[in-house]
Amino acid sequence: MSALALLGAFGTLLGAGYGFLTLLARKETQLSLTEQIAFSWLLGTGAVSLLLWIFGLFVHGVLLPGLVSIICLSLGLVGWRRMVPRPLRRKPNLFEIFLGIIVFLEIAIVFYLSFVHTLGWDGLLNWEIKAHYAFANGGVIPATYFSDSGRAFSHPEYPLAIPFTELWLYLWLGEADQFWAKTIFPIFYVIGTFLVVALGKRFTGKTWNGLLMAAFLFFVPQITVEVGSAIAGYADFPLSIFYLATIGCLFCATEPKNDAFFRLYAACLALLPWVKRDGLILWIVAAACGVFVILRTKRSSRHFLALFPGLLIICGWRFYLSAMHAPQAADFLPMNLETFSSHLDRILPLFSAVLAEFHNLPTWSLFWFVVAVGVAYLLGQMRNPGTPVLLNALFVPIVLYLLIYVFSSWPNYLEHVGLSISRLLLHVAPVGFLITLLAVSRRRVKSPAPVNERGVTCTMAVSERTPVVELA
Amino acid sequence: MTVRFSYGRIAHVLLWGGLAVASLGISIPKIYSGVTQYPLRPTGPLHTCDSYLKFATGASGASKDLISIFQSMTASKRIIIFTRKDDAFSSGLGMTTAYLASPHLVRLFEISGTHPDNELSKMNPDELAAVVFCRVNRPNWLPAGKVIGSGLEVVSTSEKKVRR
Repeated sequence: MSALALLGAFGTLLGAGYGFLTLLARKETQLSLTEQIAFSWLLGTGAVSLLLWIFGLFVHGVLLPGLVSIICLSLGLVGWRRMVPRPLRRKPNLFEIFLGIIVFLEIAIVFYLSFVHTLGWDGLLNWEIKAHYAFANGGVIPATYFSDSGRAFSHPEYPLAIPFTELWLYLWLGEADQFWAKTIFPIFYVIGTFLVVALGKRFTGKTWNGLLMAAFLFFVPQITVEVGSAIAGYADFPLSIFYLATIGCLFCATEPKNDAFFRLYAACLALLPWVKRDGLILWIVAAACGVFVILRTKRSSRHFLALFPGLLIICGWRFYLSAMHAPQAADFLPMNLETFSSHLDRILPLFSAVLAEFHNLPTWSLFWFVVAVGVAYLLGQMRNPGTPVLLNALFVPIVLYLLIYVFSSWPNYLEHVGLSISRLLLHVAPVGFLITLLAVSRRRVKSPAPVNERGVTCTMAVSERTPVVELA
Repeated sequence: MTVRFSYGRIAHVLLWGGLAVASLGISIPKIYSGVTQYPLRPTGPLHTCDSYLKFATGASGASKDLISIFQSMTASKRIIIFTRKDDAFSSGLGMTTAYLASPHLVRLFEISGTHPDNELSKMNPDELAAVVFCRVNRPNWLPAGKVIGSGLEVVSTSEKKVRR
């Protein structure tokens, strides 16, 4: 019974996502199966959680999941009728099959790890708690939860993408079940590997590059076994996957006329602040990168509308919180110039703390060292608009996160850093994989030239034409 | 098809191959210990709460007991939870209890030491559904409540009034 309910929950979620994908990609772009699954999941979780929240303002009880299910099925039907074309398949070579098996085994281990471990501390008390309370209250978080100062520890102000995806499972299962809620997180790991494989193919024109990087995703302890990893039920890893999709799509959209990927970028961008509060910083950085790409590739000004959905979500959520009288987060001091100037002495210790985190081998292994080598490779290719996008998407959030701690209200702000910095760096880690991918392939990325949109690689103008292999 | 080798290409392969091997060498022991550290746990709707409560109090399946205790109380009244400052177990126990106490409003009191007499004496018992002590001693003048494992006690105030 649980298996059927889970199938229903995930099926409707993927259906809704696929419907949105077909509306965004249209029939003008070929997307591999891995890309279609990955974007369907990301758009599906975003859409279902937003629908539950918005409809929950007006209805609750059986009507709420009923309405959302009808919309999901309708979107699935739209997707069925407007199917996104897939590129031709070719037989994978032995090396690709070997890497595919490795990636498959790693995914199996991540699922196993997720079931062996309980939800992490934040996974239970910041995220799942909202799903649990909403389920007990007919699909809507009770108003008293937001105003109850006794539950301020659970951060009522955090956005709802992850808790309401868990809620969607609960509504299908008919009970709030912390065990099944964990299934969401290894799926995000699967989506992460799919995106790395697919973007690897698009960036370099070679499938094995993407498969190799996807295989290495598993070997960063912060991604697989550490606190806040893909198995702990925290929002950090899902946020990092949304960010990977956003930046990956933007890189592909640096090709002139590749509007399908620009629309996908806009959709993923909008969902960043809906996954986690820190997503606002990633939204600012990714939006700035988007503005840079629009200007650099001389796109029409209507492309600036890509920022609008994200702004709508940010403002809508702020307005909702103030209407519900939700308490303000107590972890940070008021962010103004006065506080900043009076805490400037923190910058050097903060910088040292972040540097120390970079060579924290038990948590990151050699990941950041490898990324540094990759960055050195890319520095000579700054003329391509995709390169500054990737480098800024990696570095600027780290700098902004560092500056945020200047406003920490903790008596020992370095303890605050120590508890959260590895999870904040996790947000940008998948972008580090994209940089490494380009460096390993030694792709010399030239200035983008106009290409046929029905193509399969975003650097096709300079890449060798090879058929796509799908990780099916 | 001919494959052209150059010093640059060889250096490139050696660099990335070396980095990959070194990364694996550092990561594999950590990942291996992460994978083999824990056995499969029993599943269940409240399995994370149960695990936390078992870890902190030693009691198995305590979540259901706590929920049924809280459900037997008037929902409109608040639950007071006492935890100890600088005691992570106590703090965790308090927050897990607060999680399970829904739909009651809760108030967490973090106290220095283990005796909450001062704080309790200032409260109006008519407004409270229960007082929960997380690794904090119940004052002697308060009637005994339901003890869960070691370190967690729930005193319902709907039947017995707190002395003022």
